[in-house]
Amino acid sequence: MKVIELQNVGKRYGEVQALSGVNLSVEPGEVVAFLGPNGAGKTTAIGIMLGLKTPSSGKVRLLGQNPESPEVRGRVGVMLQESGVPENLTVEELVRLFGCYYPYALPVEEVLSRADLRGKRRAFVRQLSGGQRQRLYFALSIIGDPDVIFLDEPTVAMDVEARKAFWEQVQGFAALGKTILFSTHYLDEADQAASRIVVIHKGQVLGSGTPAEIKSLVAAKTVRLQTELSAEEATRYPGVERAERENGHLVVYSNAPEVFLQRLFLQGHKVSDLTVKDTDLEAAFVRLTA
Amino acid sequence: MNKLITNQPRTERRLSPTARRSGNILTMVLEQMCSEIFSYWRVPEFLVGTVIIPVILFLMFGANVSAVLPEGTAVKALLMASFAAYGIVNLAIFTFGGDIAAERGRGWLRLMRATPVPAWVYFAGKFALVALFGAAILLVVFVAGYLTGVRLGLETWAKAFFTLLLGSLSFSTLGFALGFLARPRAASTIANLVFLPLSFASGFFFPLNQLPQFLQKLAPYLPTYHFGQLAWGSIGTPSDVARFTNQPPESALGHVLWLLGGFLAFGVLAVWGYRRDRGEQLR
Repeated sequence: MKVIELQNVGKRYGEVQALSGVNLSVEPGEVVAFLGPNGAGKTTAIGIMLGLKTPSSGKVRLLGQNPESPEVRGRVGVMLQESGVPENLTVEELVRLFGCYYPYALPVEEVLSRADLRGKRRAFVRQLSGGQRQRLYFALSIIGDPDVIFLDEPTVAMDVEARKAFWEQVQGFAALGKTILFSTHYLDEADQAASRIVVIHKGQVLGSGTPAEIKSLVAAKTVRLQTELSAEEATRYPGVERAERENGHLVVYSNAPEVFLQRLFLQGHKVSDLTVKDTDLEAAFVRLTA
Repeated sequence: MNKLITNQPRTERRLSPTARRSGNILTMVLEQMCSEIFSYWRVPEFLVGTVIIPVILFLMFGANVSAVLPEGTAVKALLMASFAAYGIVNLAIFTFGGDIAAERGRGWLRLMRATPVPAWVYFAGKFALVALFGAAILLVVFVAGYLTGVRLGLETWAKAFFTLLLGSLSFSTLGFALGFLARPRAASTIANLVFLPLSFASGFFFPLNQLPQFLQKLAPYLPTYHFGQLAWGSIGTPSDVARFTNQPPESALGHVLWLLGGFLAFGVLAVWGYRRDRGEQLR
């Protein structure tokens, strides 16, 4: 009883191998994050699961069937990256129209409140901000009361606050026992929202596991500083996943940089030129594969 | 392995407590039609471009013509039909062609494909739009004709109205072919490139007998010309229309067959374009 099943799926565009050997199996009720940098193949994989693209090799099953079958389409909700919906309809009109497309529908009122759009119901689509537009697409993805929804990079164009609110809305829908698969290139987002993270890079699945397991592979923060501490000594500090020397700087990958820095200062090490940044995922993935 | 998967029991449908039955096909079609109509009704430029321009052209170039042909057909009435025909073809090509290309480019069609809605429902919405706005064009042009002195029997008005309105259907496949084959950004330019010469050479702007010889020879090969012939024929006597167009009279059936032939030929092209576009998304 798998909701999504990919077996050795590959996708080639001419010379470019966009996906290769992707295996995935998603159980009912899971919230799965596809985590990877831009161009990793996330959108292609989602297109294949939805039956909008045909794989060059391998097998795809959605709800146990061919994803293109009308019955499956009626049980699946989608939020695509480009969804140029009619600009001159109001939010409410568009949500109602979409409800008519599906064999079952949630009340428009409920969907508007789940997507926090009640105040915008009479606004035309063209008047919406980037974040509101994303919420509208989310509303369209859940109106048919689908068993599974696909969200392709749903939080682009959202600020931090909006993002947080958005994931609360998604959790609310997941609480109905629904299966959710979304793509993102933010580790913290995947960590916050998903029950399982699938790391994808250059068309291949690098690893899959709970957020905790993945975070131990890919440290969330990069601390860069000048100090006399060696990389080897730094590795023994609490909260440090990995450390290395780079152009005269010590570079530390950590999920708890404050713990590491506190110890560093307490021990009286000389520190200058200190920066703490979110780990550049692409760089982290390159290390993972190396 | 594959066999095992296909034979798996279907995953359970998990309906929410508040979910209700939906997806009635009639409601779906009606909602789609209303959405199309509302979303264009709200664009003043669309209304002006499709509904107002034909009547303005008629008032500028047709309303002041007082000539009457030997069998009693007023040239003004035929010019009214010309500008109405222009309006109808314009509406059909831009709605079925330009809009579809634009919506394809924006990703709207792809999103619809990911839903269970059948493709024909989308097209039904476009037809409703053309029917309603087509009727509006005809009403406005006919009222302008009446106010500037065109007098026809009630039956003739009705015949002209339905001939012109039904004629719009024959250009739907030309539009679809354009909509699915043209690159989205280029579609409205191509629509203009196709449609303005067609209208001109078919005698919609100036009567054919005033156009250069070579255009008069070319016209019988254009679908728009046959559409014009049906429109003029619904108003004037055959010999008056022959004088007006400087073409030998032909039976209405001949014109209908020409339109039908064009409809089918462009239909084949449109289906090919639709499949190709789908294929591109499936790649």
